[in-house]
Amino acid sequence: MKQATINKILMYSLITVCAVWLIIPFTMAVLWSLVDPVEPWTADKLLPPVMSTYRWAYMWENSSLRPALFNSYVLAPSAAIVTLLLASPTAYALGRIQFPGREVAKLITLLPLVVPGFVTAIFFSSIIFQLGLHAWRFGAILFAHSVILMPYAIRIMTVSFEQVRQDHIDAARDLGATTIERWKVAYMPALKPGIMAALLIVFIQSIEEFAIAFIVGSPSFVTVPTLLFSTLGQDFVRPNAAVLALILIVPNVIMMLILERLLKSANPSLSSGKG
Amino acid sequence: MTAKKWITVLALLAPGVGLIAVMIGTVIYMAVAQSLGYYSLMGESEFSFEFWDKMLGRKAYYKSVRFSIYIGFFSALFSVALAYPLAIWLRKPFNGSLLIGAVLKAPLLVPGLVAAFLFINVISYNGILNQFMQWIGFWDAPHRLQNDRNGYGILVLQTWKNMPFALLLLTGAVQSISDDVLDAARDLGAGTMARFRKIIAPLTISSMQAALVIIFIGAVADFSFQVIAGPTNRQSLAQFMVFFKDSGRWHDAAVVGVTLMAVALIGSALLAFATRIILKGGRIK
Repeated sequence: MKQATINKILMYSLITVCAVWLIIPFTMAVLWSLVDPVEPWTADKLLPPVMSTYRWAYMWENSSLRPALFNSYVLAPSAAIVTLLLASPTAYALGRIQFPGREVAKLITLLPLVVPGFVTAIFFSSIIFQLGLHAWRFGAILFAHSVILMPYAIRIMTVSFEQVRQDHIDAARDLGATTIERWKVAYMPALKPGIMAALLIVFIQSIEEFAIAFIVGSPSFVTVPTLLFSTLGQDFVRPNAAVLALILIVPNVIMMLILERLLKSANPSLSSGKG
Repeated sequence: MTAKKWITVLALLAPGVGLIAVMIGTVIYMAVAQSLGYYSLMGESEFSFEFWDKMLGRKAYYKSVRFSIYIGFFSALFSVALAYPLAIWLRKPFNGSLLIGAVLKAPLLVPGLVAAFLFINVISYNGILNQFMQWIGFWDAPHRLQNDRNGYGILVLQTWKNMPFALLLLTGAVQSISDDVLDAARDLGAGTMARFRKIIAPLTISSMQAALVIIFIGAVADFSFQVIAGPTNRQSLAQFMVFFKDSGRWHDAAVVGVTLMAVALIGSALLAFATRIILKGGRIK
């Protein structure tokens, strides 16, 4: 059999598997979110007998969805900006300065990924208790998110700083550009995709982060993931959980698509318009 | 390097690497210190092995350690084992390979909790899987698949969520192997398995180790999948730790936390070491 035929067979079988893997679960979630309480969706019916947006309106009016959305969507952009601000100086040092111990410093940046999330969450909350800062939940979660998500921002920004071309900086200097002007014309065009990618990846990770929001935020500070978790617990109501699951995933997909485009354009010569 | 340059470098590193080192260092220190009786939130703080002694006498503790290692190991193994053939298949672009890559990586976009919800939706007692199995006549009555005793559900979930990550790492590594090397092996009579064992695996060992270790650490410390879809008669280490913390038993939580860190560290090192040892035999000398 030819390689092309094998590829075709493999591709069709894989697409079938993936359709089953992705389309069925998501279709089920959408259908469950549309089940009207007037008539339940029982096992003998292929589709919900009555469909409406009642559950969406119900969750909006009667659950903690509004504060959860507010908290999540204030926390995530704040974490993205704080993380970027904290990560950039380190990324500059790692990307553009040769110094002894650079590899060790790079390894240390990976620490938050190596220590299990729940260990960080629990003992970070213990530190907060010891310091008497447990009432300041938003600030504590923002700080913790900024630190645990910093490896992503440092990594992306380090690569971006490495890609800034020295001849562009030198040319700007030779033409009499001041430090700020050099940053504007030589650094920023190459850094822009990296900055956007770092902001987006931290935003996405912060939106879906569960361990710290759950441990440090409980019981008063709710985010969309902690609300979804509580909906999946003892008071499990499938249609309500479906609404929350969809609310959590839709922005993720949109932002990941933007991220993919950004990462594709993360070429300094393209972004600076110079070959 | 001059003193001035050193000061500049340290000042630049302080808000990033410095903050990470201080926070994670303090977290690790706090976990170890609390497991040894210090920093008590209620009662006296003094050095003691009492909490370790008591914990080491609990059957539930060993059960939890074994269960977490089991989930961590098999999640890493299944994810990498599934990702390898796909990465090799997608090495050279062909019509539709971009679409396949995108579909395969889609679970990366799905937050863990949503994945768990989608999964229990499909496997629930009256869910579509049970309905389908009855419809094709494979089963007479619905089976109870959710919260299965052996944690197979969690392994499926972990593999679904982590395989795309392994694929991402392995695709890059496999694509960097030059055609000349593979063609030379083929000309010398190496079959598909021999090419994998002697060329592809040794040349992609770093990515394989990275994938195995990162997936292992994530899965060994799993909490949400276990609580939602895991067996009710066993607890993962993270679940056990949260249980103690919620009961106000911080020192016990710390003992479990230190154990979890040790399991993650030792397990990762062993996995990385075992991968190297296993593949060493297949190396071209």
